[in-house]
Amino acid sequence: MINKTTIGLLLGLVALTAVNVHAQQRGSDPDHRLSLTWDRWLDHDEIGERMQLMQRTWPNFLTLRSLGNSHGGREMWLMTINNPATGGELDKAGMFIEANVHGNEIQGAEVILYTIWYLMENYDRIDEIKRLVDERVFYLLPSVNPDGRDYFLDNAGSGARTGHIPVDSDGDGLFDEDGPNDLNGNGVIEQIRKYVPGQGTHRISHVDPRLLERVFPGENGDWVLLGREGIDDDGDGRVNEDPVGGYDPNRNYGSDWQPNYIQGGSMNYPFQLPEARAINDFMMTRPNIAGFQSFHNSGGMILRGPGAAWQGRYPTSDIRVYDEIGENGERMLPYYDYLVIWRGLYTVHGGSIDWTNDGLGIISYSNELWNGGQYFNSPLLQEQRQNPNSPISPQRSRFFFDDFLEFGDQYVEWAPFEHPVYGQVEMGGWKKLSGRVNPRFMSMELFHRNMAFTLYHADQMPLMSIGETSVERVGGNLYRVRVDITNERLIPTITERARQNHVVRPDLITVQGNVDIVAAGWVADKFRPGPTQMIDQEELDRILVRSGHPGRTTRTIEYLVRGSGAMTVTYSAVKGGTVSASVQLR
Amino acid sequence: MMNNDRTLHPNEGSTRMIIRTTVSAGAVALFATVGPLPAQTASYLDFDGLSRELRSLASGSNAASMQALGTSHEGREVWLVTVGAPGGTPLESRPGVLVVGNLEGDHVVGSHLALETVRYLLSSDDANLDNTVYYVVPRLNPDGAEAMFAAVRHARTRNALPYDDDNDGRIDEDPPEDLNGDGLITMMRVPDPLGAYIVHPDDARLMKEADASEGQAGAYTLYWEGRDSDGDGFLNEDGAGGVDLNRNFQHVYPYWERDAGPYMVSEPESRALMDFVIAHRNIAAVIAYGHSDNLVTPPDSRGNLSDANVLDLVIAADASNTDIFATGVFPGGGGGGFGGFFFGGLPGAVPQLRGAQPGRDNDPESGRRPAESVNRDDLTYFEAASDAYKEITGIEKVGVSRDARGALFQYGYYQFGVPSFSTQGWALPEPAEPEEEAEDEEATPRQRGGAPSGGEPGFEASLLEAMDGAGIDAFVDWMPYDHPDLGSVEIGGFRPYATTNPPAADLPDLGRAHGEFTARLASMLPRVRIAQSEVMNHGGGVFTVSVAIENTGFFPTSLQHGVVSRSVQPTTVQIQVPPESILTGDAKSSTIRKLDGSGARAEYSWVIQAREGSTIEIRVRSEKGGSDTTTVTLR
Repeated sequence: MINKTTIGLLLGLVALTAVNVHAQQRGSDPDHRLSLTWDRWLDHDEIGERMQLMQRTWPNFLTLRSLGNSHGGREMWLMTINNPATGGELDKAGMFIEANVHGNEIQGAEVILYTIWYLMENYDRIDEIKRLVDERVFYLLPSVNPDGRDYFLDNAGSGARTGHIPVDSDGDGLFDEDGPNDLNGNGVIEQIRKYVPGQGTHRISHVDPRLLERVFPGENGDWVLLGREGIDDDGDGRVNEDPVGGYDPNRNYGSDWQPNYIQGGSMNYPFQLPEARAINDFMMTRPNIAGFQSFHNSGGMILRGPGAAWQGRYPTSDIRVYDEIGENGERMLPYYDYLVIWRGLYTVHGGSIDWTNDGLGIISYSNELWNGGQYFNSPLLQEQRQNPNSPISPQRSRFFFDDFLEFGDQYVEWAPFEHPVYGQVEMGGWKKLSGRVNPRFMSMELFHRNMAFTLYHADQMPLMSIGETSVERVGGNLYRVRVDITNERLIPTITERARQNHVVRPDLITVQGNVDIVAAGWVADKFRPGPTQMIDQEELDRILVRSGHPGRTTRTIEYLVRGSGAMTVTYSAVKGGTVSASVQLR
Repeated sequence: MMNNDRTLHPNEGSTRMIIRTTVSAGAVALFATVGPLPAQTASYLDFDGLSRELRSLASGSNAASMQALGTSHEGREVWLVTVGAPGGTPLESRPGVLVVGNLEGDHVVGSHLALETVRYLLSSDDANLDNTVYYVVPRLNPDGAEAMFAAVRHARTRNALPYDDDNDGRIDEDPPEDLNGDGLITMMRVPDPLGAYIVHPDDARLMKEADASEGQAGAYTLYWEGRDSDGDGFLNEDGAGGVDLNRNFQHVYPYWERDAGPYMVSEPESRALMDFVIAHRNIAAVIAYGHSDNLVTPPDSRGNLSDANVLDLVIAADASNTDIFATGVFPGGGGGGFGGFFFGGLPGAVPQLRGAQPGRDNDPESGRRPAESVNRDDLTYFEAASDAYKEITGIEKVGVSRDARGALFQYGYYQFGVPSFSTQGWALPEPAEPEEEAEDEEATPRQRGGAPSGGEPGFEASLLEAMDGAGIDAFVDWMPYDHPDLGSVEIGGFRPYATTNPPAADLPDLGRAHGEFTARLASMLPRVRIAQSEVMNHGGGVFTVSVAIENTGFFPTSLQHGVVSRSVQPTTVQIQVPPESILTGDAKSSTIRKLDGSGARAEYSWVIQAREGSTIEIRVRSEKGGSDTTTVTLR
C-alpha cells in the first residue's frame, strides 16, 4: 500500500515537473499548474498535503502555517494569500474564510481549497482575480474541527458534529464510554428495526418498500425502531448514551456566550476549546481582517447575526451593508436565502460570527452549504415535487435520486442481524454522506458559487484612497488645505457595532510637515461655500475618527494651517489600509 | 487588640511575626472558640513575602501542598495551596472548599485572609482534614497587588495586561502622576465654572453635584492626580493595568467595558483558575474575597444582592473621562461628504432589512434566559452561611463595595451551581448607622451614593466619620497645588487602599476568624453515605436488595440552582449487577438530582436474579458530597 506521504511527494514531483514543462494549452482549457481533482472528500492528512502542494507551487503568494493543534493533535492548517509586491499583510484588508467547525459539515473545506487553487491558477489569466489578490489578503482555514472531520470521514461517522474533548454526557464519571458501534462492520452506523407482527409502531410504506412509516393511533404496525446501531458498552443498562465528545464547537465564542443550561454544548467558558482559541488568538493579531465567512451545512442559507433575538437589532448602517452583500449573494447562489440566524435558522448563543461581528468588528456571514432543492433543480421538477404521487415527491425523492443518479450508492438495504441485546433484528439506512453533503458530481458548482460569493464579500471590504487635493492661500502664510478621502467599497472602515464596542482602533488622520494646524474640519459640501464642521479635538495632527469611514463615500477634510513647504496628510484605517497625499504650501 | 497602630504599613518590607502567647480580651470576645495560632502575619506582604510565607506553611505540613496554577502577565505565580490530610479518600473525591483572594488588585486584605486561613486549617481541630479538601488561591492578581508596594501607591484593581483603555491606538500612555510627591495617587479638584461639583456643605472634604434647582452652580471638576500626558485633552485616561479579574468571569459579564477584558476569562490568571475549577467538580463551596458582599448581607427575599456602597469622589473623578468615546464620532453616512450609492437603492433610503424578514420564524421571546437572582429554594442556605459568618467574625457592616458583574463568586453560584460567597472581610470600625432607605422596587443593582442633598449623611460621609472615629487616616486633606497645565488646584481625597483594606494590625484576628468560617463552611457541605442496606430472599434465586442513601451534611447534594442549571451532576446510586439480572425495581443506575441535608434519605430497591450466597456491591457517588460503597450478601 502506498502511504499518503508518498502520494504527496509524487504529486509534488508532478507539480515541479509541470513548472518546467510549459505545455501548450490544449483546446479551450487553461494550462493549469496543478491539475487537481475535486470529486473527493479529503481527510485531514489529505487537506494538509494539498495545502503543502499548493504552497510549494506558489511560494511567493502562499504561506502555510499551523495555528496550533486540535484536541486530538491535528494541525490547524491556515493558508495566507498575500502578494508581497503590493504590500505587507497588515496593510491590506483581510478576508478570513473557515469551514467545518462541525465535524460532519465537511464540504466547506473543499470550497476553501478550491478558492486557493482558483485564485492562484487564475492570477495571471483573469484581470479581476489579479486585482483582488493584489488588493487583499486572504486567510483560509479549511477545517476548524479536524478531529471531527476525520471521525466523520475515516470512521462510521455517526455523531461527528462535536469536537473531541471527552465529555461525560451521562454523568456517571466516565467519559465517552458508550457510543454507537458498527456491529456488522460495514462502515455505516445504521438504524435498528425489529419485526413484531401486529405489535409495532411502524409499517412498510406501500409507496416504497424501503420507507418505514409510523402507523396512525389505534392501528398496529409490524415493526419497532430500536435506535442507532450499538450496544450497552459500559453495562449500565443504557445503549449509546455517552458517545464521543458531546458539545457544540460553534457555541464557544466570546459574544453572547451562555452557560450550558441556556445554550447546550457551550462548554464552561468562551474559547475554552483549543481550536476556537487558536483561531481567535490569531485573529486578534490581525486587526486588518474585515471579512469573515464560516462555511457550514446544510439548508442553503447566507446567515448573518445576531444569533439570538435578545441581542437586539444590529445598527441600521451595519444592516445596510449586510443586506446588500446578502441580497447579491442570493443572486449568486440559487436556492440560498439570506437570513438572520435567530429568525431564519434557530437561536445560537456564542457562535463564531457573533464574536467576529461584535468582538472583532468584522462583517461576517455563515453559509449553510447545499439545499435539498438542488437535487431537482428546475422549476418544472420543483413543481412536480408538490405532487404526492410523483416519484420525486418529498417522501420518495431521496430514493429516486439515489436510484437514478447515485446508482444506489448512498443507501444500505435492511438486512437481518442477530443483536446481542435485541435478538433477531434488521439494520439498514442512509449512509453518512447522504443528505447534508452534496453529491460529489455536484461539487464544482457548489464550490465555485460559494467561492464567488466570498470573493465578492472580500471585494467589498474597505479600500481607502486619496482623491483631489487643493491648497488655497488665505493670507500671509496661512493656507486652506483640502484633501478628498474615499472608501471605494461598501464596507465601512469601522462598523457601527465596532465603534459602540470600542473593538477596532479608530481611523487616524495624521499630518507631517512644517505646519502649525490652526483648525480642521469636515467640508459639508465641497461645491457650495460655507463653514466646515469643526473637528473638536486637541491633537489636530492626529485626528481620531472613531466612527470610521463609511462605504462608497468621499469625505473632504480641510485644514487651516500656518507654514510652508510640503504637507503630508495620511489616513490610516486598520481595516482599510493607509493612504497619503502631499501638497505644497505656496 | 494587641497592636494599636491604626495605619497601614505595607512598605515595611519585612514580615512581623507575632508570636501569640496570649489572646487579648477583645479577641476572646470575638474569637472565643479558637486557640492561639503560631506566627501570624501582621503586615501586608508583597509577592515575595507572600510566596515565602505560603511556602513555609506548605512545607511545614504533610497536609498542605503548594503549586502554581499559572503565571501572571508579569510572570508572577498564581499560587494554589491545597490543604487536606494524606491517605484515605483521594483529595479530588472529597467535598472541597475553594478560597480565592485578591482578585481585585487593591483588595490585598483578601490574600491575607486566605493566607491566615491556610494557617488556621493546618493548626485547628475543626478543619476535618481527613474528609475535606481546601483549595486556597490567596492572590489571583499578583501584578495588581504589587502596586500597593510601589514607590507611588495607586489603588489599582487591574492586572498588568497592556491595554488601550481609551482606544486611541496608544497603550498605557496617559497614567496618573504623583504631582505633589506624597507617594500617593489621589485626586485633584479644579476650580472650573463649567464644572459639575461643589464642595459638600456638611463636610468640606467631600464634593457633591451642584443642584441648579437649589440655587447651586457648579464650581469644580474632579480628576485623578496627574497631567494630560498624551495631549488629547483628557487626563489620566489610560494608565497601567488592563483587566479587573473580578469583572472577567462569566456571569453578567460586563461586555465591552474597559476593565472587563476583551472577553470572558481572557486573562492568564482567570483562565488558570477557571481551568482548575472545572477540573475539580468536587468543589462544593466557594469563598472569593473581594469588593462585593453576600455574606454580611445575604441575598434578599427576591434573591438579589444589597446595594453597592460607592464613593462619590471616585465616581466624580472617573466621570472626567466619560466623554472620551464621543470624540471623533462624525454623524451621517457621508459625514458631510458625498457618495454612498448603494446597489439596491439611493443613499438615505430606508434599508429593506431583508435579512431581518422572517424565514422560518422563531418567537423572539422564546428561549430561556439565565437566572440572575438566587433561587428561592437556596436562600436559606445563604442565610445560614451569613449567620455563621457574622457569628464567627463579628462583622455586621459592609464597607466600600461594588456591584458584582463578572465577579468570580457569582460564577460560583450561577454557573458552577454551588454555595458561593464574597465579602470584603473586615468591618468598618464604629459602624455608623445611616438611615435605612425605603425598600426600592428595582431589580437591577443600585448604587447608594455618598452625598444626598441634605438629610442624613450618605455612605461616603458615614465612612469618613467611622474612619475618623477609629483614628484611621483614610483621607488626604485637600492641599493647594500649582498644576503646570491647570493652574491653581487642590490635591487630596481618599488615601489609596485605606477604604478597602483594614489596618495591618487587624490581619491576624481577621485571618483567624475567616479561617474558622472556612472550616465551618466545610462542615456544612453535603456528605452522602449508605445508611442502611437490606436483602430479602424470595427463593428461586430472586432477591430484593434495598438501600437508604443519607446526606449527613447541611447543604443538599445540589442547590436547587445546581439542578436548574444542570451544573451539578445528579448523585448516582448504582447496583453492580449485570443489567439483565434486574427483574424489576429501580434502574441499575439511578440518579438523585438533589438530596437535602440534615439527614434526609432516599431509598432504592432492586429485584434481582442472582446466585444465593453471592455478594453484591452498591455504590453511591455524589459530585459534591463524596461517595460510599456497601456490600451485601444474598441470603
